[in-house]
Amino acid sequence: MTKKMAFQIFLWGTLSSALLFLWLTWDTHRQVVALSHADRLSAQVVAGKRVFEKYNCNDCHTILGFGGYYAPDLTKVVKRIGLEGTRYRVLSPEVAFANSWRKMPKLGLSDVEIDNLVAFFTWVGEIDNGDWPPQDSEKRLGRAALRLTATQGVSPGAAVFQTSGCMNCHSLNGAGGSSGPALDRVGRQYSKEELEHLIRSPKSVNPSAEMPPQTQLSDRELEDVATFLSNLK
Amino acid sequence: MRYQSQKIAYWYFTAALPLFVLQVIVGLWLAINYTFTIPQAVVDLFSFATARAFHTNLLVLWMLLGFMGGTYYIVPEETESEIFSPLLAYGQLIALLVTGVAALIGFLFGWTQGRPLLEIPRPLDFVVVVGVLIFLFNVGMTMIRANRWTTIQGTLLGGLVFLALLYLFGIPFYDNEVIDWYYWWWVIHLWVEGAWELVTGAIIAFILMRLTGVDRQVVEKWLYVEIGLFMFTGIVGTGHHYYWIGAPSYWLWFGGIFSALEPLPIVLMVVDTMHHVKARKNTIVNPLTWTYAVGCAIFHLVGAGVWGFLHTLPQINYYTHGSQVTVSHGHLAFFGAYALLNLTTFYFAMPKIKGIEVYDERLGRIGFWTMTIAMVTMGLTFGVAGVLQAYVERVMGMGYMTAQGFMRLWMGITLVAGLFFLAGLLVTVKDLFCLKPAPAGTEEMKSRS
Repeated sequence: MTKKMAFQIFLWGTLSSALLFLWLTWDTHRQVVALSHADRLSAQVVAGKRVFEKYNCNDCHTILGFGGYYAPDLTKVVKRIGLEGTRYRVLSPEVAFANSWRKMPKLGLSDVEIDNLVAFFTWVGEIDNGDWPPQDSEKRLGRAALRLTATQGVSPGAAVFQTSGCMNCHSLNGAGGSSGPALDRVGRQYSKEELEHLIRSPKSVNPSAEMPPQTQLSDRELEDVATFLSNLK
Repeated sequence: MRYQSQKIAYWYFTAALPLFVLQVIVGLWLAINYTFTIPQAVVDLFSFATARAFHTNLLVLWMLLGFMGGTYYIVPEETESEIFSPLLAYGQLIALLVTGVAALIGFLFGWTQGRPLLEIPRPLDFVVVVGVLIFLFNVGMTMIRANRWTTIQGTLLGGLVFLALLYLFGIPFYDNEVIDWYYWWWVIHLWVEGAWELVTGAIIAFILMRLTGVDRQVVEKWLYVEIGLFMFTGIVGTGHHYYWIGAPSYWLWFGGIFSALEPLPIVLMVVDTMHHVKARKNTIVNPLTWTYAVGCAIFHLVGAGVWGFLHTLPQINYYTHGSQVTVSHGHLAFFGAYALLNLTTFYFAMPKIKGIEVYDERLGRIGFWTMTIAMVTMGLTFGVAGVLQAYVERVMGMGYMTAQGFMRLWMGITLVAGLFFLAGLLVTVKDLFCLKPAPAGTEEMKSRS
């Protein structure tokens, strides 16, 4: 091979890849409008993005999988812990993570900033991004839960418990989070009905509860998980 | 050293090394954050986010200073002339350092753009752009004035201009989060798998040519093939970051296929290095510089090539994306490809600037092996933590902090390995700052045997 041929390899390798890339960039711009629901990109969502950047959230948390790996991914945070759960953690992290071995700084957001931030997270959560992350995928974990109930004889309530993020804070048999109480014997303390109220509106049953209301569960899921928990004795 | 203005490089290297040390110290603090509970009061004052901004921005700053220093060393020899304006070169060094320090102090008070790796606030971005333009003007004018063009300096200048252009895509505020990340990767990916590879290719080619005495035509021929492959695979290979951001699904194919090819140019670089070493016409004068050059090629292949390849397939990346597996790859790749490249340059150029032909390498050798072994260990422990995270959090769906509990021990081991790395680095920095001629007799015996 001569140096001239080597130069041709460089020239055409670079040009072909760059042209293909620019063309794909043009097409991506065209398609992202629909994939990201750009029509719902309101002024409030954009203001929320500015809040997200102002407090440097992204150097601890990932979003769409990018950023710091020190704290949970925020792509589907609204789906995972609900609007109220998100507000609660941003507003008073020192309470929400009092029992956790990893802390979140008190950021001092104003009420408007929190509204905007939550609007931003809601919008991001609806981006059509190939069903990522897997831990929040209904298709994947839903299927896993279905398999569990079918083959292992595990109750539907246990599947809801495992896949709705309860274990981010609570533990069973030592597995799970430590920011909420362990639930191994929760059935001794509360009846099924009490548990249903407690999950929907924790403070109505236990005024000192720090748990955010779980408004994202359907009535069916609520009943299943309360049945499951009330049997833990 | 043949030209007076090559001395400029020494000051760039001198500025870069303490920043590298600071980067590693902050890195240890990050590992402590993963291993132990930091009290709320400390977290409120100096959060993980701020520390991470320090860690990554120091990385970019010291490496760019290293590249610029390397350029100021190489360009006079390639053009056979002095640098256009040493005054501008020193002024630009001071401007960049002041900007960097201002940015770091700003982070402590929450002055940030708030985007990972691009935290430098927008007003300071413009100072950076001006600094880089002065640099490119200075280097470009040197080449134009000399009018003696070589492939090595062309590649170097091309890489630096490409690098500067891409930085511009990181400055605007994007309304749409998807588009934001799309162009964020134009800076980050096209830097490390595009522009920086051009700079690396040129610097390595220059050092190999000088060390081995292999014919320029041969070295430059392979340089063209390498950078051609880097560009061909690397540009569309950006697509491996577009799998899960809300971009069209064809990126799974383009990203997957092109990035599977990305190790090829690095393999070629290793083969090429080995080939030149075998066909050398010069005797080995300073074995440690060789160790660095060969170590850089091999570590580049493992850290960037193999580790990158391992989790670039969409089917795997679905579970490893944004986990500690990414961290493992990031550390091995940046250290292997760019930290070792800069250290190779330092060990090649600093003795020459000081007028030492054969340097005493006993300390430096200890530094090299301590750092490389510690970094391999860190790559493995981050990797184990990442696989645990992928399985417990993503496959089993057991919650983020549950997974972090399983990973805690491995992050602790990373911290210990990090301490060894810091020790190795301190030895290396001390050695580079206090280079001495080798005791008479020892080196000639080595090269004869």
